[in-house]
Amino acid sequence: MAKPQAEQSVFWLGSFTALTFIVAIFATGIAPSVNPHLNGDFADEDHYHASYQEVGGHLVQVSSEHLIPGEPVYGYNELQERGRLVYQREGCVYCHSQQIRPLDSEMLRYRIGSSVAPASDEREYIYDQPHFLGTKRNGPDLDRVGGKYSDDWQYSHLYNPAQMVPGSIMPAFTWLFVNKNPADPSYIPVPTQDAVALVAYLQTLGAGRQVYDPTLNGGKGGWRPWLKLQDALTSESFSENRVNEAPVPVKVVGGERASSPVLMQ
Amino acid sequence: MAVQQIMQMPEPAAPDRIHHSDEASKWFLTTSLIGLVVFGSLGLITAIKFVFPPFLAYISWLSWPRVRPSHVQGVIFGWLIPVAYSMFFYMIPRLCGTKLYSEKLGKIACVIWTTGVIIGTTSLLNPAGGDHAAGTLNLWLMTKGKEYEDYDVVSNVFLTVGVLLVAFNTFRTIASRRYRQIYVALWYAMATVMWTALVYVIGNWPGQAIESTFGIKAAFSGTNDANVNWFYGHSVVGLVATPGAIALAYYFIPKAANAPLYSHKLSIIGFWTLGAIYFWNGAHHLIYGPIPYWLQTIATIFSFLLFIPVTAAVVNFLGTVRGEWHQLRYNVPLKFFVAGVIMYFLVSSQGSFMALRQVSGTVHFTDHTIGHSHLALFGFATMFSYGAILYAAPRMWRRPLYSEGIAEWSFWLSLIGVIIYVISMTISGFYQGILWQDPTIPFINTVTAMVPFWHARAGGGAMMVIGMILMAFNIYKTATSPAPTDDKTLSASGTAVAASAN
Repeated sequence: MAKPQAEQSVFWLGSFTALTFIVAIFATGIAPSVNPHLNGDFADEDHYHASYQEVGGHLVQVSSEHLIPGEPVYGYNELQERGRLVYQREGCVYCHSQQIRPLDSEMLRYRIGSSVAPASDEREYIYDQPHFLGTKRNGPDLDRVGGKYSDDWQYSHLYNPAQMVPGSIMPAFTWLFVNKNPADPSYIPVPTQDAVALVAYLQTLGAGRQVYDPTLNGGKGGWRPWLKLQDALTSESFSENRVNEAPVPVKVVGGERASSPVLMQ
Repeated sequence: MAVQQIMQMPEPAAPDRIHHSDEASKWFLTTSLIGLVVFGSLGLITAIKFVFPPFLAYISWLSWPRVRPSHVQGVIFGWLIPVAYSMFFYMIPRLCGTKLYSEKLGKIACVIWTTGVIIGTTSLLNPAGGDHAAGTLNLWLMTKGKEYEDYDVVSNVFLTVGVLLVAFNTFRTIASRRYRQIYVALWYAMATVMWTALVYVIGNWPGQAIESTFGIKAAFSGTNDANVNWFYGHSVVGLVATPGAIALAYYFIPKAANAPLYSHKLSIIGFWTLGAIYFWNGAHHLIYGPIPYWLQTIATIFSFLLFIPVTAAVVNFLGTVRGEWHQLRYNVPLKFFVAGVIMYFLVSSQGSFMALRQVSGTVHFTDHTIGHSHLALFGFATMFSYGAILYAAPRMWRRPLYSEGIAEWSFWLSLIGVIIYVISMTISGFYQGILWQDPTIPFINTVTAMVPFWHARAGGGAMMVIGMILMAFNIYKTATSPAPTDDKTLSASGTAVAASAN
């Protein structure tokens, strides 16, 4: 009987495909996740991402064997974890991606001062569950936003985005703030614990990222944070305001930071 | 053994006239039409917020980033999937020459599914506060924060049980069929429920359920999470919405056009290539992203291979309508289907090219993607569902369609609306992508430059929503109008005509 054989072979083919698929899911998805550090090892061979670095005002290509730093530190403390939850609940991911693609225009657009934003690396996301890579940029990418603005700027922007960035279509997250005295016209909205946590999380984005700098160690090369010291200092209060333990009153100060001279000629 | 049993089945005799009660089908159709209007309107709110941000702002649960996922998830799980199930429960018994295995089970599945959608939408809007009015941070009750799998874990339980019940009902009905051959629409229907269960569990359960239960960062994190997310996200479109809509087309296009299927062999080629290729496409949502280069390349290649199933289906559908084009003047269900077929080809070709690195580098993250997804889920899947509903609803309720004119209006509003929508978004995507290539242009300037396109999009979206309301109203009036008293039969376009002498 020819026909039953054909149907049986289809059955076995289907079963085999399903089995292969389950094994593949396990091997590519589950197994590497059990040990997060395996991620980095897996990445070695195909590590094309951060292959461009800024050296002396120019983008140069760096060979891939230089791209494995020591122990990456991308974990979150309790406050920052809560910030991630707020980010998740408020749906920030639907407008803001968290990935710098290895395109010149993108690495320059999201620079801070003269520090060119390095393209994203899979190790930056090891502790991200859920991931916030995003698919749509109604607003700018946030993967290198940590340290770009002060906490005060972030609070003011969350409370009234159009005030800080004229023309912004970002919704005002007023429910993240408590108005201490609504009757008083000169009231100061105070960020809730949610807002504090959210800003604490935003300030971690990209903060652990290191880049390879061939000019370090007397020309032998070495690793340094992607955000150079002078740029970190120019971005006011970068170090002091990284983690906030208590609510900070909102001060509306300044506008967007004056942009630094464009790096690429 | 099962195979021998199949072989021993008698060749089909003309079945006795079976009275299909279509109860489960009616229930699913009702809930899906409500979902269509509700979640379509949420989409319109989203579009209006783009051109007028203060619209419904300052209310946490109506803010843009909470309404937007409610719209996306709602349209898929509250409209496209239930309406596909409704039409499955209509066509499967008819194609099998038997009654549905259990109408009661179908109704239970409908209640469970709808409960899941309501719970899920609530979790996305997140109106109830824990500490304060901003909403809860409980992992069990809030959004998962990943596109297409945003619904919370509780809702996932309901939706998983719902799809399993529908699958059980489907397979039991087909197992007790009276014809030996399984028509391709049944293949697609079985595949839809099976693949829905498969990708839904893989996409939703391992990551979130373990973390919610044990509080550990389990299963997937980081880029693995993103990869599984997009395996699932693309499968929802490719292995749930697409085969569901194609199953409807394979049954309803020959029915509506009153013409035989063009090629059965082509339909089988299309079926197996669809199943083999679509699973591999997820990573093309992460082109240039922090995932391995080879994975992106695989996704690009398989995106192009999609031309095989797409062309097979499109050629088959248009070949079926061949020689029947004159019916497009008056046959509204056929109009919906032909428009849908053309947009299916357009959207699939567009998708293949968007997976190229060069194209993706420009249009990724822009409105281009939004236009693409609406061309797929509205222009293709929803148009097919409209056509199927207009054909099936009069037969389910055994009444003539309430108004051909309203059906025409909903067709032209939907068609022109989606064309305006997609063209404006496609241009805006290219425009914004090109602006982004110059890093000296401040980001906000690339946003404000899109405002004219967003006005056009809101206009097109409003037309689509009016079309939805008219469609739901038409079916509602059809179902509730008094039953015809004299002996009448229904023509292909759903109008009542006097029965010819027999």
